[in-house]
Amino acid sequence: MRLVIVTFAFVLGHSAAAVGLSDPRSQTPYSCSGSRPVPSAFETTASTSRFLTQATFGPTKAAVGDLTGGSASRWFVQQLQEPASLNVPQVEGYMAMLEDPTQDFQTLTIQATTLSFWRNAIEADDQLRQRMAFALSQILVVSNFRGEVLTDIPEGVAYFQDILTEQAFGNYRDLLETVTYSPAMGDYLTYMGNQKADPETGRMPDENYARELLQLFTIGPVALQPDGQPLLDANNRPIEIYDNTDITGLARVFTGLDLKGLNRDQFPALDNIISLGTGLEKSFLQPMAITEALHSTAPKQFLSCAIPARTKAAPSIAKALDCIIEQPNVGPFVSRQLIQRLTTSAPEPGYVLRVSKAFNAGRFVLPDGTKVGEGRKGDLAATVAAILFDPEARCATALADRKFGKIREPVLRFTHWARAFDVDASHPQYAPDLYDLIQPDSLAQHPYRSKSVFNFYRPGYIAPGTRSGALGLTVPELQIVDATTTPAYINFIALWAYGGPLMFGDERYEELALAGVPVDTDTLEESFIPNYSQELDLAGNVEALVDHLDALLLYGSMSDATKSSIGATLIEATEFEPEEPQTAYERVALAVLLVMTSPDYLVQR
Amino acid sequence: MMDVNGKHRRQILRGLGASALTATALSGAPSRFTAHAADTSNYQALVCVFLFGGLDHNEVLIPYDTASYRRFRTLRSSLIIEQGESRQRERLLPITMQQNSVLQGRQMAMPPELPALKALFDRGDLAIVGNVGPLLEPVTRQRFERSAARLPPRLFSHNDQQSTWQASAPEGAQFGWGGLFADAVLATGANQRQPQFTTIASNEVGPFLTGRQVVPYRVGVKGAARVHLLDDYYDGFAEERAESLAAIRAQLAAQRFSGEHVLEQDLARAFAAAFDTNEAYDRARQAGDPLTTEFPQGPLGQQLHAVAETINVREQLFANKQVFFVGLGGFDTHSAQAENLPRLLEEVDGAMAAFYRAMTELELQEQVTLFTASDFGRTLAVNGDGTDHGWGGHHLVLGGAVKGGEIYGAMPPTELGHDADCGSGRLIPTMAVEQYAAELGRWFGLSQTELTNALPNLSRFDALKRTFL
Repeated sequence: MRLVIVTFAFVLGHSAAAVGLSDPRSQTPYSCSGSRPVPSAFETTASTSRFLTQATFGPTKAAVGDLTGGSASRWFVQQLQEPASLNVPQVEGYMAMLEDPTQDFQTLTIQATTLSFWRNAIEADDQLRQRMAFALSQILVVSNFRGEVLTDIPEGVAYFQDILTEQAFGNYRDLLETVTYSPAMGDYLTYMGNQKADPETGRMPDENYARELLQLFTIGPVALQPDGQPLLDANNRPIEIYDNTDITGLARVFTGLDLKGLNRDQFPALDNIISLGTGLEKSFLQPMAITEALHSTAPKQFLSCAIPARTKAAPSIAKALDCIIEQPNVGPFVSRQLIQRLTTSAPEPGYVLRVSKAFNAGRFVLPDGTKVGEGRKGDLAATVAAILFDPEARCATALADRKFGKIREPVLRFTHWARAFDVDASHPQYAPDLYDLIQPDSLAQHPYRSKSVFNFYRPGYIAPGTRSGALGLTVPELQIVDATTTPAYINFIALWAYGGPLMFGDERYEELALAGVPVDTDTLEESFIPNYSQELDLAGNVEALVDHLDALLLYGSMSDATKSSIGATLIEATEFEPEEPQTAYERVALAVLLVMTSPDYLVQR
Repeated sequence: MMDVNGKHRRQILRGLGASALTATALSGAPSRFTAHAADTSNYQALVCVFLFGGLDHNEVLIPYDTASYRRFRTLRSSLIIEQGESRQRERLLPITMQQNSVLQGRQMAMPPELPALKALFDRGDLAIVGNVGPLLEPVTRQRFERSAARLPPRLFSHNDQQSTWQASAPEGAQFGWGGLFADAVLATGANQRQPQFTTIASNEVGPFLTGRQVVPYRVGVKGAARVHLLDDYYDGFAEERAESLAAIRAQLAAQRFSGEHVLEQDLARAFAAAFDTNEAYDRARQAGDPLTTEFPQGPLGQQLHAVAETINVREQLFANKQVFFVGLGGFDTHSAQAENLPRLLEEVDGAMAAFYRAMTELELQEQVTLFTASDFGRTLAVNGDGTDHGWGGHHLVLGGAVKGGEIYGAMPPTELGHDADCGSGRLIPTMAVEQYAAELGRWFGLSQTELTNALPNLSRFDALKRTFL
């Protein structure tokens, strides 16, 4: 039944949109249940809030108010045009605060890219772009987890962040090329300084990037149908599409690239040196340079691709990526993962197929008739439009679907809180509690600090011993839910919900001074403090308070049972005295905590 | 501005940001449990030490006789130069064995980063198992090259081979042999009071510890994770606020959750289980005296310390048989191997030796067996300053029950182009992971039927000629 509906909706969706409708409310571009008309994404505050939950780092009260009743298509187009908020200028600003830039392991050095991430995620106007960049950062993974070059030289990751940000609506093929030349990826997947084979010593080109480029960034290990389902052989087994000879063939392509201006006689292994003060950090802000003498002249064969002997480095890389992007797997492989980052963990094959078609065609028509995309395979603007405006993501039926949705990523829960309560995030350096969340006794997720190239969780993760697992649903985020991260998240969100930073004024000043973070006391006191003015007014009426938080934080999707359970807990555990303002604050803080730790909230439906 | 800084909230916040945790348990007196301790006299535990990234086995056992060593130096010249003194022949720790037939006249040595493990080998408490890796059936080089052999899917891929080591199938596998072993011992009546502590991980674990019955409990290196709010909320008013605390706890633990959404149900169950197991674990830990053995401060040392302390309170946990999982990352040494691998090996050496000392302190060294696992071995060929993904590799088994001081399985020559080389010195395994696992499972008390239930390909292999346990 369900499949039929989706297919019908797909047909309707595209044909209706193609005729170029302008008023989002007068005509519907997609159908959810046959004849019943479908509301515009921005028709109600709830639908607006839900759309913004999928498309941004969290709906703000102001955005929901401003956009409701307007056109989601128009908002989408405006977001495409919004200039990119970047990381490098911020990171350079942090580095300029250092008294002695040549000293290693300084707080601001280690955290600079984290801080710029938080600020952009919470405060930037180009929300869709920032959210898309974060989604891409979980496919094209680089990380400063290891405490090596990418930790010492934050410019490397910052430049990479900006590549993803600037090309978030670009073309995936072009993005792969920029990424390939980026010093951060070159260092992270160890092909910076990689050389052609040496038959005398038996030295081989490093295979790391070649392997992960295929396995994680573009096609995956097994053949896929256009809807992302594995293609099976006669024995019902998945079909592997490359073996190690493809890897060794492709590895030859990524030889001869190195950090621009790096003298390998002086620094044979970059990992061994702290290059601070040598000026090398500037080289991390530009593409790696080619040394043809170190590039493999052998023929490069992999998949169905053959690059002739003696092809130089730049054309080899271009041909290799041209050939890889043409593989039929790329569309479903990348589309499915982007869907998982934005809307649902276990998308219906039909949903993957439709998004993949937009990826392949490089084109998507918005509900108001606006055409998105340049018409070339890999167009990410068309892809993200197809994800967000798909009937699967928009229809009210999804809200009632027991399987649609995703566990909110821990990082997104925090940005969501910060935006909902309008905190001042202009100085993330004042919040040491945001410096490092990757450890398992924290959230096990931290932007650009995955423990490995396999991201925080795997797109194909099916949680053993769970109901979703019994249904065969992939639920990546469940991979980081356990008896350690669960209390850690409760502790983390409680700290913010209770206005924690307010309480640590003096201690925090000393802590920051010790860490070499310059502090402005007035700004410090305002940083990351929730604005509960609306909520405090409701503290005397528990039911109204919970309803308000339900609308604000989960677009009214909380079950009545959970609402009444939270209400009863608030009445049991807090006492409200109109004469004592802190009792209202306590009640609101506990209410925010209980809402943001409820299963209803934790699953974005 | 309103007063949001009341004393009340200040107390709450002290707790929220607390780094030093109060020791108050939520409920229950420790003595209540020790009085009813289970019979744990036949206690046994298996401990898997997973070396994430793919351990270069070529640096765990290094050729030592002059000819082999010289060839190794040539094959790995660029690495050896960077490694400097630590790979000079006179710095290596040569091993001697009663039965040397495995080496066919060659000599092997451990690197200077593994002095404690070398000493344990010499004392007979550590065995080396040569060239272990995932196999579906025995594979020869000829059959590999003719594509005539059935091979484990997605060889050389990290996530898939981690999963295959743990669960005999690539990523997506649901049940690991550690979990299936645990199911088998539960079925024979072990751990009846608190089955939730049968499989325990102090690291992110894949499918290894999940069976049809058991799911792993994740323990932090400092013990059970606590919810500060419940520890410190209304500090000093705990008794009169008991009902408030209970209400908050019930809400946070999603006890009353009744929603229909599948993911919400999974989360509700995970939250409830986290509260229950953490509290039960905490009570047990507080009832035992900590070990005196000191552990290194690195991540592996800290995880093995948590495992040792858990074994220390086995009676309070009513545990007869347990399977543990710890892990250390960083072994994917494509680059800077000379700098990074020795540091990692030192950590392994210190942590495993401390764990063995702790088991000796508990007089459980005969009853606890630790073994290593890893994604794969690595190429013998170098790529400049590192090595690439391989297949088979050498592994270590540690414990009083181990027939140590010997190398088991096969030790292919340190050379390219031999019968077990499928290219660049990637080893075709000569012992299947499932054979290695079966040996551990047999020691753990599993019958042949239970072993073949847990290890789907086991029947395709002959029994090991020499058993290491």
